Amino acid sequence: MRSVIVLAIVFVMFAVVGPILAPHDPTAINIPQRLSPPNSQWFLGTDALGRDILSRLLHGARWSLGLAFLISLIGLAIGTVVGLAAALGGKWMDWAIMRVTDMFLAFPELVAAVVIAGLMGASTASLIFALSIVGWMRYARVARGIGLSLESRGYVIQARLAGMSPLSIARWHYLPSLLPSLIVVWTGMFARAILGISALGFLGFGVQPPTPEWGTMLLDARIHMRSTPLQMIWPGLAVVACVLAINLAGDSLRDALAERERSA
Amino acid sequence: MIGAVSGLLLRSVVVLTGTALLTFVLLWNAPGDPALSIAQARYATVVSGDVLEQVRAEAGLDGGFWTAFRGWIEPLLVGDFGQSSVTGRDVWPDLLTAASYTVPLALMGLGIGMVIALPLAILATRRPGSWMDRLAVALASLGAAIPAYWLGLLLILLFAVTLAWLPAMGARTPAHAILPAMTLGFGVAAALTRIIRSGILEARGQSFLPALRRRGVTHRAIGRDHVAPHAAIPVITVFGLELAFLLEGLVMVEVIFARPGLGSFLVSAILARDFPKVQAAVLLTALIFVTINLAIDLIYRVIDPRIGARDA
Repeated sequence: MRSVIVLAIVFVMFAVVGPILAPHDPTAINIPQRLSPPNSQWFLGTDALGRDILSRLLHGARWSLGLAFLISLIGLAIGTVVGLAAALGGKWMDWAIMRVTDMFLAFPELVAAVVIAGLMGASTASLIFALSIVGWMRYARVARGIGLSLESRGYVIQARLAGMSPLSIARWHYLPSLLPSLIVVWTGMFARAILGISALGFLGFGVQPPTPEWGTMLLDARIHMRSTPLQMIWPGLAVVACVLAINLAGDSLRDALAERERSA
Repeated sequence: MIGAVSGLLLRSVVVLTGTALLTFVLLWNAPGDPALSIAQARYATVVSGDVLEQVRAEAGLDGGFWTAFRGWIEPLLVGDFGQSSVTGRDVWPDLLTAASYTVPLALMGLGIGMVIALPLAILATRRPGSWMDRLAVALASLGAAIPAYWLGLLLILLFAVTLAWLPAMGARTPAHAILPAMTLGFGVAAALTRIIRSGILEARGQSFLPALRRRGVTHRAIGRDHVAPHAAIPVITVFGLELAFLLEGLVMVEVIFARPGLGSFLVSAILARDFPKVQAAVLLTALIFVTINLAIDLIYRVIDPRIGARDA
C-alpha cells in the first residue's frame, strides 16, 4: 500500500518537476540528429525530427497526467452533483436523471469521446470536453446509490424534520459519507483518463503537435517502427507505468476502505 | 416478470431515442459548415456559392434542426440509414460489410480472453495467496494498464516485423485476424481473470458450503454445482462493462491493423465529416450495446430470481 502511494507520488512529482529535469528543449528540431539511437547525448534517442525523446516524455507527463487529473476532477464534480440530485430530488427526478445517465452509458466511453473530439475538431479544449462529458456517469451512480441508502438514516431524517434544506443536507450529511467511495472511483477514472488522452492523441484527435504528449508520440513513432523500434517503447511504457501505479493505489485504497467499514 | 421485461424494454427505447437525439445535436453543433465539408469531400476543389447552396439543400441542412432531424429519423424507423453524403452510396450495405469484419474479430477476442482467463482464475483460486494467485493478479493488473493500441504495436513489432511470422496490416486472409484478435483477447483476459477470481472467492465464502461438505458432497461436485453458478453472477454483471471495453479496444485495434471494420468506418467517417455514416455507426453501436445489456438484465433474473425482487 505505502509503496504504491509513494510510486504514485513519484509520478506526480515527475509531472511537476519533469520539465525542469529535461535535458533538452522538447520541441527543438534537429534534423541531422534524427532517429538517433539512445546514446550519451540523447539518453532515449531522438524522433523523426531529431527532438529529444526523454525531454518530450518528461514534458509530456505534464500534459498527460495534468489533463487526466483535470478531466477526472471535472467528471467527479458533475457526477457527484448529478447523483445527489437523483438521490434527493424525489422519485421522478431520480427516474429522469438515471435515464439520462443510462443514455450516456449506452455508449462505450472512449468511442463516444472519439466521436465528440473528432467532430469538434482536434484541439486540447475538445479533448477535455469530450473526455469529461463521457466520464461522469460512474460517479453519479455511486453517489446516487449511497445517497439512497442514507435516506432512511436517523440523522438524515432528523435533519429533514429540523427543516434543513436538501442542499445543506447534501452538503453536510451526504457528501462526507460519499467521499471515500467517490475517491476510489476517482482513481479508476484518473487512470482511464490517462488511457483516453493517449488513445485520442494516438488517433490524432487529441493534443496537437508539436506539444509533446504520450499518445501523439506513439503515433509519430509508429511509422518508424522498423528502423527505430525503441522510439515506440518509451511513451507506451510511461502510460503503462502511470496507469498501473494509479490502479494499484486505487485497489489498496478500496481494500483499506472495505477494512474500515468491516471494523466500524 | 412480464412487467419487469416491458419496463426494461421501455427503458431501452428511451435510451436509444435519447442517444439518437444527442448524436444529432452534437453533429448539428459541430464547428464548421457541414455543407462545405461535404462539398469539399465530394469535389475536392474550390467550392462556389451555388454548389454550396445545392449541396446544403440536398443534404437537408437548409430547413433548421427539427426538419433535418425528422428527415433523418423518419426513414430510419423503417430501416433506411440514408446515403453517404460524400460518395452517395447507401450507408447500410457498407455498414454491414464493416460489421462482417468486426463481429468475428470481437468474438475471437472474447474467445481468447475466456480461454486464458478461466483456467488462470481457477488455478489462482486453488490456493488463494499462493504464488500462482499472485501471478494471476499481477498479470491481470498489468493487462488492465496496457492500452490496446500499444499492445497491438508491440505484437506487430514482435510477430510481423522481427519474426515475420504473421501479417499485420489489412484483412485479406484469416491469418490477418490473429494479431488483432490476440490484442483484444489479452485485454479481455486481464479483466475477466480478475472478475472470475473474485467471483469464485466470494462464492467460496458462502455459508452453506461447509454444511454441504460435512454432508459428504465431494469437492468436485461442490465446485461444479454450487461455486460455479454463484461465481457466474458477477461475471455476467461485469460482462456488460467488459463489452464497452471490448468495443473501445476494437476501434483502436482496427485502426492500428488497418482492418475495414466498424471502428475504421467510424473514424474515417468522422474525418470525412460524413454525417449519415457517423450517425449510422453511432446508432448501431448503441443498439448493440443496449440489446446486450438488456439480454444481460434478463439472463440475470433467470439465474438469480432475487434480483428482480430487489430492484423492481
